[in-house]
Amino acid sequence: MIYLDNAATTFQKPRDVYKAVKTALETMTSPGRGGHDTAMAAAEAAYDCREKAAALFGVPDPANVVFTFNATHGLNLAIHSVVRPGMRVAVSGYEHNAVVRPLIAAGAKVDVATSALFEPEMIAAAFERKLDAGAEAVVVNHVSNVFGYILPVERIAAMCRERGVPFILDASQSAGCLPVDMQALGAAFIAMPGHKGLYGPQGSGLLLCGAETLPLLHGGSGTDSMAGAMPAYLPDRLEAGTHNMPGIAGLSAGLDFVRLAGPQHILETEKELIACMADGLMMIPGVRVYASEHGFAQAGVLSFTVRGVAPETVAAALNEAGIAVRAGLHCAPFAHRSADTLPEGTVRASVSVFTRKKDVTALIGAVRAVVMKN
Amino acid sequence: MRYYLLVCRSLTYAQRAQRALSSAGITARLVRTAQDTRQEGCGYSLKIGESALEKALAVLEAAGVPPRSLQTVLPDGTVTEGKR
Repeated sequence: MIYLDNAATTFQKPRDVYKAVKTALETMTSPGRGGHDTAMAAAEAAYDCREKAAALFGVPDPANVVFTFNATHGLNLAIHSVVRPGMRVAVSGYEHNAVVRPLIAAGAKVDVATSALFEPEMIAAAFERKLDAGAEAVVVNHVSNVFGYILPVERIAAMCRERGVPFILDASQSAGCLPVDMQALGAAFIAMPGHKGLYGPQGSGLLLCGAETLPLLHGGSGTDSMAGAMPAYLPDRLEAGTHNMPGIAGLSAGLDFVRLAGPQHILETEKELIACMADGLMMIPGVRVYASEHGFAQAGVLSFTVRGVAPETVAAALNEAGIAVRAGLHCAPFAHRSADTLPEGTVRASVSVFTRKKDVTALIGAVRAVVMKN
Repeated sequence: MRYYLLVCRSLTYAQRAQRALSSAGITARLVRTAQDTRQEGCGYSLKIGESALEKALAVLEAAGVPPRSLQTVLPDGTVTEGKR
């Protein structure tokens, strides 16, 4: 199979990730649950992972690196900690439901900073207007999971810092390939999955904390057990219950891989593949490609549509040809509204550092065949 | 032989303190707090020998990770709060 759904989950992982997961299952239980060897091995592995993440993402204290199940879990925690009913929260027009739904559930007034695709200047100006109009918090994704659009989050974060407005970053599509620096951004929270660009297993994720936190889950933390409430300190405050040690150990190995490969190298590799993909697909009559000019504002994700053929039909045909892509709305109706790709959405192909040029060539050939058949 | 437990507020905090001590050339073993003299529930401590105690406390203070409290464990296993 040719796997081009890496924006959902990177399927091909570094060998060390598989090994780390196996070792964790064989030798570790959970940190903070006893002083025996398996608990202490878990404690060491967990702290090691926190330290690596803190170093990679500019977090001064590893204790502020909290393990989550995925980015959605992290975003829920962040939004629960910051947003109160009635609060005006500015978001981009490219957010995932992992941002939108928790905001609605929290009773926020969601204020969309609208802009066209691949227009960083326009979106920065839109956020500035929202902030000047009284936005009390900003939640924004670094890279659109539908279009690969890289948003100018450094500029948006700077506007928030100037105004003392909490800034929450969804780094789901950027962690591992773009610079994500907690201190430089001055973010209240940054949420990221372990299973995408960090090449860890599904069920792992990180929340980087720079503001007061409010737990969503309450339960055992392994310390201060006499207290009726969750501890006041991180990471215990947000980590109730037994840890996903196979996930954490695998994520730790994934972080090693990313650090050694270099996020910049990973980004360049992915951009090159996406540019090649865009060029090839554009040559096919009836195919509309959503690509940034010269790829300057686009990461490793590309959306396209085929005239007269529903995205799900295209994806099913590609699956028959042994190519895995994703079709539909990608849990991001805001993004499709912004790009005018509702109601059927797009076909999305997304690459990883393991994607080869011949995979891209195969995709282009298979799409051409779909067009010819229809 | 007498030793000391640097009682930490959390496991992660204890690990951070352990790293700070290690950087200063001081070996400290991470253990469960032997006796919960403050009755706060389970916790973690760094076990340290008598000769390294003063330097360890100074290192942790400088690193911004001072222990929550100090316990002395006497050769007969008796645990007392503070330095004995």
